[in-house]
Amino acid sequence: MDTLGYLGQGFGVALTPYNLATALAGTLIGTVVGLLPGLGPINGVALLIPIAFALGLPPESALILLAAVYLGCEYGGRISSILLNIPGEASTVMTTLDGYPMARQGLAGVALSLSAWSSFIGALIATCGMVLFAPLLAKWAIAFGPAEYFVLMVFAIVALAGMAGNRPLKTFIAALIGLFLSAVGIDANSGVYRFTGDSIHLADGIQFVVLVLGLFSVSEIFLLLEKTHHGHAAVKATGRMLFNFKEAASVAAVNLRCGLLGFVMGVLPGAGATLASAVAYMTEKRIAGQSGTFGQGDKRGLAAPETAIGASACGALVPMLTLGVPGSGTTAVMIGALTLYNITPGPLLFQQQPDIVWGLIASLFIANVMLVILNIPMIRIFTRILAVPNWALVPVIAIITAIGVYAVHATTFDLFLMVGIGIFGYILRKLDFPLSPLLLGFILGGLMEQNLRRALSISNGEVGILWGSPITFGVWVLIALMLLLPLLRLWRRRQLARRGAANA
Amino acid sequence: MLVQRLFAAALLAACVGLALMAWPYQAPFSYEPVGPRAYPLLMLGLLAIALLYMLWRPTPLVHSEDEPPLDRHTLAKVGACTLLLLVFAGLFEPLGFILSSALIGIPMARLYGGKWLPSAVIVGAMSVLLYILFDRIMDVPLPLGVLSVLEN
Repeated sequence: MDTLGYLGQGFGVALTPYNLATALAGTLIGTVVGLLPGLGPINGVALLIPIAFALGLPPESALILLAAVYLGCEYGGRISSILLNIPGEASTVMTTLDGYPMARQGLAGVALSLSAWSSFIGALIATCGMVLFAPLLAKWAIAFGPAEYFVLMVFAIVALAGMAGNRPLKTFIAALIGLFLSAVGIDANSGVYRFTGDSIHLADGIQFVVLVLGLFSVSEIFLLLEKTHHGHAAVKATGRMLFNFKEAASVAAVNLRCGLLGFVMGVLPGAGATLASAVAYMTEKRIAGQSGTFGQGDKRGLAAPETAIGASACGALVPMLTLGVPGSGTTAVMIGALTLYNITPGPLLFQQQPDIVWGLIASLFIANVMLVILNIPMIRIFTRILAVPNWALVPVIAIITAIGVYAVHATTFDLFLMVGIGIFGYILRKLDFPLSPLLLGFILGGLMEQNLRRALSISNGEVGILWGSPITFGVWVLIALMLLLPLLRLWRRRQLARRGAANA
Repeated sequence: MLVQRLFAAALLAACVGLALMAWPYQAPFSYEPVGPRAYPLLMLGLLAIALLYMLWRPTPLVHSEDEPPLDRHTLAKVGACTLLLLVFAGLFEPLGFILSSALIGIPMARLYGGKWLPSAVIVGAMSVLLYILFDRIMDVPLPLGVLSVLEN
């Protein structure tokens, strides 16, 4: 049972006062960032990367900070969905369905603490799953060569498009743009400058933080221009703040089911929290049947998506840590952070830097506990933050974003690039393109090209190596299945439409 | 539909341009079978195929309910905001962080419906506060610009 020993060692790392303080600061910052419109987990984590670097945090503390911010953001997004009926991001849409009605019934405090509890249970289940499976997966992944990695990354991209549901083509285009953008800059193998236009500022490529902040923060600033509402009157969180034992017991089965479901969905690349919460909600609604009051403030309807989100957020860390292949936008940002510290996530990470891996896993436990505890005394302060009007908020977001971009290289070129990328991101958003595949493509692109070239160097240009081994062949079969998925869905929808027309 | 087709066409043109740019990329001497040209060309090729499909058959846009339609008024505001951000980027180093962010932040707050006085107070205070927080406490170097005279 050396896994448990490693976990103990991880708690040793995470429980040092310094790292505890880091986790606490991270959860607080994350909650506020998640609360504010225009900032989500992706920009929150990206903004903190240069700051963590400037502060000189050691890598494990930096990672703990980022993970705490990530979990805090999820929590903050929950507050605005429950009290305002405005989902902070796509994954919390399901939370509003039953959370807001609960708040209207005067159970706002209960809804908030119960959702935090559900998310905690989900994260707990997922972290246990991670402790069990991640080392196994890592051990297996050591046998992977460049060809296997290349195929795996192709799978991650294709899975993203296959799972995206209603707009696979746009997801695919966004991912390809990201994959292409990663090629900008000097080519490490041959020293050729690619697509730099002789500009020295692009020589080492588009900076990752600039891309993230431009795509997500700046485009959000433009989007906020369209909605000129002046803050929102939140439902007052009064009365009982904490759920009681009976309420927790009534959702225990839901927690368990949705936790497992969320973990599996989180591990799969491309599925992520949004799909997990939707599937969890629908499943529980069907299981509850007539007995449920889903949509009118059913506690199970609140617990189901929240548990799934908590579980998938932690599950998404599994492929990132073991394979070095991120499955979601936020984990892609974390990979970017790790590469800044010159740490390459992957199977060897478990052997070479157990402190980082297990410290991170342990701090996930701790950050989750902190969030449950924070909820009770701090909720009044958090709700007050929701009342800040846009006109005071947006300039500050713009200024902080500029600081984050400037901190990377201290050149104004990056600021101009950020504005350019922001406009591009705004256009993409207006045209219904999802942005996180672009980010994922950008992160995977560099790795993908390196692995492709390495694989072909090994085989001396023989393309057969890409599907020669049983692993690569198996993954290609999965890729083919994933590509068929949207077509199948389309066919099914047509079939349904025809039947509907026949019945009418 | 038209906007999407235009966008796809523009991206397609960019693809062709970038592919032409990538064509001469050759390693002066190389030990590996795949040079620096293959991967970008592969990606651009796939992108071009996807874009051609989109040109042929664009999917209708789905608008959420609370999203107001884009009118001239909003577009003007987006344009103004872009301009402000560009000016911000240009003045960041010459004027220094505090002055440039106050100068840009106040009109920006106006753009989002703030009143002159509260905007000026909040943005002014925040730019000084953020400078102290990031530059002095968190060690993220920010330019002082014109205000560096006040130092020492």
